[in-house]
Amino acid sequence: MKIFPTGVKVAQGEVHIEKDICKGCGFCVSYCPMDVLEISTEFNAKGYHFPIVKNPGNCIDCGLCGMLCPDFAIWSTLKEKKEVVEL
Amino acid sequence: MVKNIEKSHPADCFLRADPVSSVWCPGCGIGTVINTFIQTVEKLNIDLNEICVVSGIGCTGKVAEYLKFKSFQVNDGEVIKYAAKVKSENSDSKVVVFSNNADFLVSGAEDFIEIGKNDVNILVIHINNIIYTITENRAIPTTPFMRASINKDFELPFNIPHLAKSCGARYVARWTPLHAGWLMYSIIDAFYKKGFSVIEVISPCLMYYASNDRMADAAGRMKFYDTNSVIKQDEFTENLDIRINNKIIIGKFVDKK
Repeated sequence: MKIFPTGVKVAQGEVHIEKDICKGCGFCVSYCPMDVLEISTEFNAKGYHFPIVKNPGNCIDCGLCGMLCPDFAIWSTLKEKKEVVEL
Repeated sequence: MVKNIEKSHPADCFLRADPVSSVWCPGCGIGTVINTFIQTVEKLNIDLNEICVVSGIGCTGKVAEYLKFKSFQVNDGEVIKYAAKVKSENSDSKVVVFSNNADFLVSGAEDFIEIGKNDVNILVIHINNIIYTITENRAIPTTPFMRASINKDFELPFNIPHLAKSCGARYVARWTPLHAGWLMYSIIDAFYKKGFSVIEVISPCLMYYASNDRMADAAGRMKFYDTNSVIKQDEFTENLDIRINNKIIIGKFVDKK
């Protein structure tokens, strides 16, 4: 998946999920632009399927998952800036 | 306020029930609107004691219980009257009203018109989910045209931005919860208006439409609003009726000084 040109510094984010607050609506999974998340097959304490991180290296800390979450269960933080060398 | 965003959510300090999740259905648009409102307040960097939140009955009435500002939950049809009263007694505060279809259009409509004419400095965020939670059988003022209710009665839909403009509102906009960034800058604009400002949010309700088996999924219902809405800035408010074949027109419609 080539999105960024080579030599560009891209933000590297980290996704945090509080799985017991999640209600499994799936907004974060369906609207993530970098295909980071997926719905798990496990259940949380309330019986919903919560999201899990599928590709942790793809996250660019855009913050869209935390912006759309109705239950304040997911957010992202900035980890470091990585350099895209070759794809 | 001390925040540790590695361990807990950055918005947790604004919520009254910290570890408990909200009372709404999974995928309800009200949660996303509150999330956007909290991000706006964070971005504005103002004194939190200045903000007053007023909400009425129904699902939207739970907003006042959930937020850690000065908040009031009042009776059916008295939201906007109460908000104007709060504003008249605390002139420094910024009053934000979260209302739904049951709070005005039937029982509180004359207060909306009167306070709009008087140009009281309050911000109304009207969450329109196209139903009443109490009476889902009957056609209601916002049921889309030629969309039969269970009792098979029809009614012309109510046009809330046009009503707000004719009442003399200084700022009128309409968004969906998915346009969270647009909605955030709209709330920031309306915060600095010194007059009556109305933002309508057309939000998905999953409770009664989920049984139709057409849009049972929460994300699928939100995607319906995404594909069926079109942004037209400064559109005439006469054209903003929600009809079954038309696309939902969203955007900023009135912005007066």
